[in-house]
Amino acid sequence: MKRTFVAVVAALMITTPLSACSGNAANGGQPNINGGSEPVKLTIWHDKEDAVVAALQAELDKLKPDIIVTLEKKNGLTEALKMVGNDPKAAPDMYFFAHDKLGVYAEMGILTPITEFVSAETLGGFLPMTTQAAMYKGEIYQLPIYFETLLFMYNRALMPDSSVPTTTEGLLAFMKDVTGGGQYGFVEQHSTAYYSAGWIHGFGGEIISNDGVPQLNGDKTVAALEYHLKFARLMTGESEYATVNTLFKEGKAAATIGGPWLVPTAREAGIDLGLAKMPVINETGLPIAPYSGVQGLHVLKVSAGNPEKNTAIKKVLNQLCNTDIGAAMASASGCAPAFTACYELESVKTDDMVMMMSEVAENAVPMPNIPEMDVMWNVASNMLVDINMRKADVRASADKAQKQAEDLIKSMK
Amino acid sequence: MKNGKRKYHNTLRSWLCLSPSLVIIGLIVVFPIVYTAYISLTNMNVYHWFNFEIIGLDNYAKALTVFDGGFLQALALTVLWTAVNMVFQLVIAFFMASLLNIQKLRFRRVYKTVLMFPWAMPGYVSILLWKNGMFNSQFGLLNQWLGKIGLDPVRWLANDAVAFAACLVVNLWLALPFMIMIMDGAMQSVDRAYYESALLDGAGWFRRSVSLTIPAIRPIIAPAVVITLFTTFKQFDVIYLLTQQVGAKTGANIHTVLTYAYENAFVTSNYGYSSAISMCIFILLIAFTLIYNAKGGKRRVEND
Repeated sequence: MKRTFVAVVAALMITTPLSACSGNAANGGQPNINGGSEPVKLTIWHDKEDAVVAALQAELDKLKPDIIVTLEKKNGLTEALKMVGNDPKAAPDMYFFAHDKLGVYAEMGILTPITEFVSAETLGGFLPMTTQAAMYKGEIYQLPIYFETLLFMYNRALMPDSSVPTTTEGLLAFMKDVTGGGQYGFVEQHSTAYYSAGWIHGFGGEIISNDGVPQLNGDKTVAALEYHLKFARLMTGESEYATVNTLFKEGKAAATIGGPWLVPTAREAGIDLGLAKMPVINETGLPIAPYSGVQGLHVLKVSAGNPEKNTAIKKVLNQLCNTDIGAAMASASGCAPAFTACYELESVKTDDMVMMMSEVAENAVPMPNIPEMDVMWNVASNMLVDINMRKADVRASADKAQKQAEDLIKSMK
Repeated sequence: MKNGKRKYHNTLRSWLCLSPSLVIIGLIVVFPIVYTAYISLTNMNVYHWFNFEIIGLDNYAKALTVFDGGFLQALALTVLWTAVNMVFQLVIAFFMASLLNIQKLRFRRVYKTVLMFPWAMPGYVSILLWKNGMFNSQFGLLNQWLGKIGLDPVRWLANDAVAFAACLVVNLWLALPFMIMIMDGAMQSVDRAYYESALLDGAGWFRRSVSLTIPAIRPIIAPAVVITLFTTFKQFDVIYLLTQQVGAKTGANIHTVLTYAYENAFVTSNYGYSSAISMCIFILLIAFTLIYNAKGGKRRVEND
């Protein structure tokens, strides 16, 4: 009896999980093609804050009852797409994310160009910078919704409007005057590639070229790094997000370069916040030109191949090609719309943050969307740490980083 | 004949009882290793994500370029990191467990609960709390104390040696509860009669610890020591999050084999190449295990 019981329990333990697997395989995930008698359900993965998602959901709910769109917040979205991007049972139909990863997914073959759903004429209604950012190897893979870039922010209590520097030398003089005793004239994440890129671009340099060749030891980049070092020496030793933003929000730093996400929290902290144009670099006559990130929708190939979903996706994307969603997002979260006509709306024109972002974006450089950029963030940051924090020789650090970047890019293939 | 049949049935029953565990071990331990070995022989990368094919040992040839001077330095630091951590963990845990085992100790359960706190918190949260709450040069508690006594702030995580010590402190904070719990349990299993005899013979705390407690608990804590040894060797979170996180690098240039491999291979999204490096590190760990087991076996034979 005892033996029989043990055998039965053991057999159940082995077979139960297996039978569960077979059940899933038999039933799961088949698209319900029913000639359109029932609503088509689409899923969009995203990693956005609630206000942005609510605005997008409200706009897409206008397509009900024919199309029901579910916005699903996904942690580790970029890695999850790599794992299941071509699996019709697990992949979403679209995802809402920045443009800088689309080259990786296009190379992997999981994306469909957006031009399959939206006409060239309609795409012409978007800011050229945003559609250029979405282009990889001649194809546009993203429908741009809004963009973001870094802004020059200052605390009016510590830097009156009249003394906001218009040039980097003016900024340096201000920093020398006020930095000391726990107070800073200007702070930024000086040893992070995303933030330092603005200085490099202002010198005409770049981190990587459009065809995937690292440019870390180019003469213009090295000149920018040498010049930027003068500023980094007058900033806090730590260069990470929490320290820099807290210094600004606690009134210990007069000015900073930060993303739009810092604006609401700085205002909540009681900072009398001012936004200004990026200072012009005296050496080159060009302003600091930060990276810009364009947020938008990308379509997965597995869903584009399904005729019923294909039609629904087309409707979803075209629903977002107007001023409504841009205005809603600008109002909800201070996002700068990608649709050009939005800038003629009174509600957008009177939003100082959105308008400043749009002005800065004229000089901003879209983040490279090529796969090679994936390895550059870390290599460039290590180089900046060597120069700004470990006091290493600029040229030697740049040469070392260039070699490492070239090796890593070679290792990608 | 009857005996043989019974033996056969017993063997069959043993395997049947073991089979659920074997299936689970196979799925969660063996399969990932075998699959990683398979991927290491392919060209699975961003450019051949779904259409990858077997390319032989090319990835291993490429992996040798990662095992350069920087890797050897990281390996040496990993060995040092493991050794220093183990010494501190064993010594501190032994003292703490000894204190918890003092007879008639009041509030023993309260102390044990408090000592378990670091283990109950997610490691990621603990590490970032230490980084920002203790070591941050602008807002950290350590620099606030220094400020109170009129000293200049220190950038704790910028200097290699100081950053290593800071990582050590955080790792001890995270790992000690486990070791204290194991040692405490082991000490409670030692028969009190031995201690009473030792006390009658006039043995002090040190003599009792060396001649009685340590030999008695050694076989019980041995598996925990081996587990901790390997988790410490392949530690990634503490050093990476405290000093090397992208966007929050502190200036310290300390790397274990895993943080080094991450920066020099895993960021490439070349799964074939990264798997080859993972297999090499896996083989390295297996070699350490074999050496350890060989020495342990020899010691056991000598003891017998």
